[in-house]
Amino acid sequence: MKKHIQTGLSILVFASLVLSACRAAREAAGSQVTVSIVYGSEKREWLEPLVEQFNNEKHQTPNGATIVVEATPMGSLESIALMLEGQLQPTVWSPASSVYVPVANAEWRKKFGNDLVTGTPNDLALSPVVIAMWKPMAEALGWPDKPLGWADVATLATSNEDWAAYGYPEWGEFKFGHTHPAFSNSGVVSILAGVYAGANKQRDLTLDDIHNPQVAEFVAEVQGTIIFDGSSTAFFAERMFKNGPFYLSAAVLYENLVVAQETKRLAAREILHWTPEQVPIVAIYPKEGTFWANNPYILVNAPWVTDEQKAAAEAFEQFLLDKPQQLKALEVGFRPADTSIPLTSPLDAEHGVDINQPQTILEAPKAEVIQAAQSLWSR
Amino acid sequence: MPRLINWILFGVYALTVISVLAASLISPAFRAVAYAPVRELILPPPEPITINLLYSTEKEAWLEEVIPLFEASELTVDGRSVVVSAKKMGSREMYLAVLNGEETPDLISPASSLQIAILQDQSPDVFGRPIVNMADTASCRSLLRTPLVVVAWKERAEALWGPSLSGDLWKRLHDVVVNPQGWDVYGHPEWGYVKFGQTNPLTSNSGFQAILLMTYAYLGKTDGLTSADILSNDGYQKWFLDLQRAIPEFGNSSGTYMKDMVAFGPSKYDMIVVYESAAIEQAANAIGRYGELHVYYPPTTLWSDHPFCVLNTDWVTSEKARAAQVLLDYLASDPTQRIAMLKYGYRPVVSGVSLHDRGSPFSQYARMGLQAEVPSVALQPPSGAVLNTLLDFWARNVQP
Repeated sequence: MKKHIQTGLSILVFASLVLSACRAAREAAGSQVTVSIVYGSEKREWLEPLVEQFNNEKHQTPNGATIVVEATPMGSLESIALMLEGQLQPTVWSPASSVYVPVANAEWRKKFGNDLVTGTPNDLALSPVVIAMWKPMAEALGWPDKPLGWADVATLATSNEDWAAYGYPEWGEFKFGHTHPAFSNSGVVSILAGVYAGANKQRDLTLDDIHNPQVAEFVAEVQGTIIFDGSSTAFFAERMFKNGPFYLSAAVLYENLVVAQETKRLAAREILHWTPEQVPIVAIYPKEGTFWANNPYILVNAPWVTDEQKAAAEAFEQFLLDKPQQLKALEVGFRPADTSIPLTSPLDAEHGVDINQPQTILEAPKAEVIQAAQSLWSR
Repeated sequence: MPRLINWILFGVYALTVISVLAASLISPAFRAVAYAPVRELILPPPEPITINLLYSTEKEAWLEEVIPLFEASELTVDGRSVVVSAKKMGSREMYLAVLNGEETPDLISPASSLQIAILQDQSPDVFGRPIVNMADTASCRSLLRTPLVVVAWKERAEALWGPSLSGDLWKRLHDVVVNPQGWDVYGHPEWGYVKFGQTNPLTSNSGFQAILLMTYAYLGKTDGLTSADILSNDGYQKWFLDLQRAIPEFGNSSGTYMKDMVAFGPSKYDMIVVYESAAIEQAANAIGRYGELHVYYPPTTLWSDHPFCVLNTDWVTSEKARAAQVLLDYLASDPTQRIAMLKYGYRPVVSGVSLHDRGSPFSQYARMGLQAEVPSVALQPPSGAVLNTLLDFWARNVQP
């Protein structure tokens, strides 16, 4: 009897060892690594379905961990402020553009002693910063034959004239808007464009320019008329498109948001037939030059990012740069980073854009100049 | 009696087989003559010879394609197969890593002989002797060639210098990039300021070559550059630094820089200095985008000759050196060179591959300005010490 008990116990011990070994193996195989991404909201329409697709495909790191991507849209500058305060610890930061990277690095150095952004991050998709304007209004100003720019719009916004001067009294005042420059990339580049216009420059913007009383006065005068709303460009654009020409005449947006809106409008027109509310919108490429949203994919240089997360983040980056995903970027209105993809529909006049534009850019200033320009915005 | 002879013959045969097998164990060179079924049954497979190769990033795509072909070709050295452990790196980073001991490669291949000249100059301080010698064709071989060219959006380039580049290219470019009026001077205010670009000379060979080209152009020389030319000539320093400081953004790699030119169009770069091969790689993508992209050959140029040099160091055994030669022979073979020309736009170093071969990008994109015969005068690079002086001068005064 004793012998039977001993045998039975031995079998139980052996079985439990086998079971626990199997479980350990299963757990190892079933481990997962999370890549958290904060990104500029202007690429939400492109990224959201791709994140879902990538997660459903159960991609793995070289170590066998299943990759889970968690992506949150947020104002490009708002996210860096939260990272600096320690409230946000993402693996990847993908702002709308690289313009603010020197400021992010400068602030990061002050706090952590090194740069937040190292190396040369890859661009995910491209889109120029444009002045989005309702097409009838743009035409009233002479578009597309007459080139328009930052200074023209600022003059319109600050003048006592309203649309009556252009034969459309029913449109009321000229209302121009952009996002908040403390939180959003398009907001800060709007301020920089205003400063450039005030200084009558296209490059080499200096602190002296910012401190020039004439420039400060010009910026303050424009600021007094600006309608600004929110910390994120895509949400601001949604509000503009929803509320129509009486809410805003024009706003600083990205080209892809104009294309996306026009795609929706044209689809609705086909299904629902034309209604007066569906006013088309066009992209105006400022004649003095503009900035590009290059949507860099930045693996943050922070202690909380593990090697496994880096590997996982690189796998997701490669997925986004692969041709099928780049083609989807084109579908939603971006100019793909993959140059083997031609710039075809919907990047066309029917969708309110011109792929031969912009003709020139404004130079991205140094960190201290950007911060000084931001400080001109006192609200 | 016949039976005895049979036994003797069998004995000799058996002895021979055993001897060959024993010899194969000592030297894998005998392996090939050993009786195959017995060999495979008894002998352990010989250890392959591994060549550690450091190569510059420009030729990554070509090497990633041809190294597996080389390894599959079953070429051997003393009966041992050869495998390549290849690592890409910036050309300058490469020689610095060898000098500071971070890397111990058997074979290095920077983008041009400029880096070999610097390594030749600086290695005696570390190793007691030069570890490379470009003049020694037994250890250093150039395997790909491509000249430095100016790639520009045609409409803008022609506004600046007409249908072809003139001798005063750099002077004209300097004057327009430093002029705050920019393109307005040429009647095109809508193009903004003139956006000329090159890569960072500290991270990329094409940027290094570009600053050397400009230096020679200002001084009116084609060879014999000295450190005094760089350090003691106020006129040159002002001219050179004004030009460099007007460059809006230095790229870190030639390939990415060229790709950006196509991706962003003339709004970001009007013209850049880059390799002809990089321009060819993006030629198909540029068609129908932002206007016509054109390749211009400057009056004088520098060639990237992609030398492959076996290092004269303690860790490179004679076996590895011979294996490296087998690899270099393979890379210099017609089929491998043809891949480099047809797919990656490099000029071959063998006569068996012609730029006029069927499918050649030089014919396909001739409308872009590509020319089989390079019209530029080739400059003679100065010594490694002078090259280093120029790099240091740039790093002190321009580095972003």
